[in-house]
Amino acid sequence: MDATALTAWLREFARLVAENKDELTALDSAIGDGDHGVNMDRGLTAVVAALDAEPPETPSALFKKVGMTLISKVGGASGPLYGTAFLRMSAAADAELDGPGFAKVLRAGLDGVVARGKAAPGDKTMIDALAPAVDALDAAFASGAGLADAFSAASEAAARGREATVPLVARKGRASYLGERSAGHPDPGATSVTLLMRAAASTLGAAG
Amino acid sequence: MTVGLVVVCHSRPLGRAAAALASEMTQGRPVAISVAAGLDEGTFGTDAVAISEAMTAADDGDGVVVLMDLGSAVLSAETALELLDDEQRERVVLCPAPLVEGLVAAAVTAGTGGSREEVAAEALSGLAGKEAHFGTSAPAEAGDGSAVVRVLNPHGLHARPAARLVTEMRSFDAVVEVRNVTTGSGWVPASSLTRVTTLGALAGHELAVRASGAQARAAVEGFVRLAADAFGEVTEVLADPRERYVNHPTTGPALHRGASTSHHYRVSGGSLPEACGQAGIVDNSDVAGGSAKATGGAGDTERLLSGAPSSPGIAVGPAIRLHEQPLQIPDEPFQGTEAEQRRLDEALTAAHREIGQLSGDIFAAHVVLLEDAALLDDARAQIAQGLTAPRAWRAATDRAAGEFDALLDPYLRARAEDVRAVSTQVLRALLGVPPATVDGDGILLADDLTPAQAATLDPTRVAGVVLAKGSPTSHAAILLRTRGIPAVVGAGPVEAKVIALDGSTGEVVADPAPEVLADFHQRAERQKASRDNARANAAKPAVTTKGVTIHVGANIGSVEEARAAAENGADLAGLVRTEFLFLGRDEAPSEDEQVAVYRAIADALGGRPIILRTLDAGSDKPLPYLPAPQEANPFLGVRGIRHSLAHREMFAEQLRAIVRVARETPVSVMFPMITKVEELIEARRLLGDVPGLRVGMMVEVPAAALRASDFTPYVDFFSIGTNDLTQYTLAAERGNADLLALSSGLDPAVELLIQNVCRAAGEKTKVAVCGELAADEAVVPRLLAAGVQELSVAPALVPLTKQAVRAT
Repeated sequence: MDATALTAWLREFARLVAENKDELTALDSAIGDGDHGVNMDRGLTAVVAALDAEPPETPSALFKKVGMTLISKVGGASGPLYGTAFLRMSAAADAELDGPGFAKVLRAGLDGVVARGKAAPGDKTMIDALAPAVDALDAAFASGAGLADAFSAASEAAARGREATVPLVARKGRASYLGERSAGHPDPGATSVTLLMRAAASTLGAAG
Repeated sequence: MTVGLVVVCHSRPLGRAAAALASEMTQGRPVAISVAAGLDEGTFGTDAVAISEAMTAADDGDGVVVLMDLGSAVLSAETALELLDDEQRERVVLCPAPLVEGLVAAAVTAGTGGSREEVAAEALSGLAGKEAHFGTSAPAEAGDGSAVVRVLNPHGLHARPAARLVTEMRSFDAVVEVRNVTTGSGWVPASSLTRVTTLGALAGHELAVRASGAQARAAVEGFVRLAADAFGEVTEVLADPRERYVNHPTTGPALHRGASTSHHYRVSGGSLPEACGQAGIVDNSDVAGGSAKATGGAGDTERLLSGAPSSPGIAVGPAIRLHEQPLQIPDEPFQGTEAEQRRLDEALTAAHREIGQLSGDIFAAHVVLLEDAALLDDARAQIAQGLTAPRAWRAATDRAAGEFDALLDPYLRARAEDVRAVSTQVLRALLGVPPATVDGDGILLADDLTPAQAATLDPTRVAGVVLAKGSPTSHAAILLRTRGIPAVVGAGPVEAKVIALDGSTGEVVADPAPEVLADFHQRAERQKASRDNARANAAKPAVTTKGVTIHVGANIGSVEEARAAAENGADLAGLVRTEFLFLGRDEAPSEDEQVAVYRAIADALGGRPIILRTLDAGSDKPLPYLPAPQEANPFLGVRGIRHSLAHREMFAEQLRAIVRVARETPVSVMFPMITKVEELIEARRLLGDVPGLRVGMMVEVPAAALRASDFTPYVDFFSIGTNDLTQYTLAAERGNADLLALSSGLDPAVELLIQNVCRAAGEKTKVAVCGELAADEAVVPRLLAAGVQELSVAPALVPLTKQAVRAT
């Protein structure tokens, strides 16, 4: 996986977010401040514009540009959270990534999200989708799976993780102000992570 | 130095407005406030890149403090830190204070040149005002896990009440935290004595408490109850703080009030004979430097020293010393975390057992220190880092003692000694060093004593104690006094075979010549004879050598003390403090209840006259049913008659009760803290015209003493409260041990005021003195010479005071 392949992944992520912007916003309106879709779309639109203007040459440079753009343009908490994830991925990324290498980079991103948000699994946050996705990726590569199967497994794990957030009561972020009323809805952040992993399956997974 | 400020929030207009509001507070002194708020004018959001730029813009080199609103503002500010270089990042403080309140407080402090840490600390306490506002109006909202209470203890939350608080809070299954709202301190765990006492909570301060856990609510309720009960310090709150240092019944001319087991013992200057003239806190360097001097003509070896009189009585005997192995921590290999921790635990258990066997409040505080979570955690952490148990324990206790050393309040600062005493006790157990022993019978010479040593001396073997260091207010001195062992402290180093000491004067003679020794023996005899004689004649009238009868009364504050007064031969109750009826309860005593108590006092005195002083309350001893605003200086505040005239219903009820008792038994009434004639006239108007009831006023305020002739037409007698008159005339608080030289004895200025009152009183108005000077045999002749006709002293001092009158 080089910068070009990874750029394709993130462009697809941006497209999926734009396509599901209203759904994300609706989810966030139910339990948060109703801006997740708009914020992520604004941030990722800026990311695409930045990538168009000057295509990065290495995965590290790519992730850095994405991270910096997100922390500046998203506006909500997902800005620093996604942004930190990509900045940590930038620091962890080698010039060329194989499957396990990508898994390692994505785990660095997950660690960044955990460090920034101080949330734990079960707090009804994006971690509830991202952590199982990273675990699934690791497990798949450890069992010798190819990119297609691994990314497909990761995408499914993220989706299951997202579903599992439905009954949870939020303990972090704006949704935590709602207490018990936050139960019964999926977490918007976990939902956008499923889009990120679905995009990975259809781009990075297909490339392999 | 000017620290810059950064405002991070979701809305740009909000950020700008908050910055403008804060800028108004800096009073012209420019404080850089950068705003990183919103994605644009109308879009809510935060931008980590913009925040990092704002941090750079506001930083002049002195650093910045960042205030944020919520959610992404916090995350983005943290992310922004990662974008700075290491050197600049060091200068940024992210402050969790609430945005608006915190920013205003931060701007003020930054404008006055505060450091980053000071600015952030001020910002954090920005909510204190609001909390205090709502906290006082709703102190114990049941159900929520927090409350705000006021510290009622006159000396604040010192070791003993703090120990009580910690003990009680630990009994709940809850995490309880406390902060000092008044000083704006941070939250500290209520389970830690060291941390609770670092709150520096003084009388009148407000404490906020919060709790979480299964018994959170019960814990908060318990805390509120405990605070209302002055953390168990009931007797101290009941006692009139202005009278706290008055002599109290003990045998002989006691130096100090009976509550001598309490930690806040203060030296009572007035009762010390003039000759000793030693300040309460002894400067050891001076004493050590040159107090030993040869006495003319006596034996070659005799040396006369002086120290601070600490426990009265004369003692003579061979010098004995404490034998104690030094505590040296050996260089030994680290045995592993578990083994070292086990060693420490065993030593703590042993020390716990030893301290538990000693009686004295101080030891209760020591036991709590042994269980102090912060101290134990610290020691554990040191062990985890590879220190042996003794080294870890010493490091942890050194640090805790250091925290106390750094406090401003001298009382709390002195708690460092408690930590060191406990530290030594545990180290001794850890190293297997046995406690100090005494090598024989006689007078113990030592550098200083730990409380545990003072508490375990055998009085049948140790006839007296001379300490090179220390002060009469140390725990060791208090314990010696309580245990009746004569002592002089701060005497400097003494080398001698034989020692004679007078614990009432501070006199110490090393290797006395035979005639001096004989003199001490004689003095001891005389002291005993004089006491016996005084007791034998206690019930007889006190008549001067010129044939004038002087009534000697007793100052009392309870029915029990009235009985003691009668037993000691008091001619009357010259001062009945009625505060004991009013304090420490939920509602004012009814007229009937007051009548019953005043009647019981009169009965206890067998029909001898009683002079009832109306309630002398003030904000330093607030009545729960009449909340008083906090005053910066309660002794110059709404107290005495000022308080009564402000609460007329209660005052009128007390006057009615006094009038009723006056119909049955000889009663006089007097008003405290009279300053202006108008106050006296108003008080008399409320009292009404009662045939046979003598009416007087206290003279405590210099203004009243100076204008005594203006008051004479309205009173039958003056009662001069020399304790307060001295304090107010010399502007020297009597409880302040550093001011003993000012506040002890009969100052010439006070003597002039007394003379003026006697002159103004003339023939028809009687003048009494009811302060502790009235018991000072050196002062009595001067008081009588001025024209004083009546003296009133602590019940136990009545016999000796009568003897002093007879000698005049």
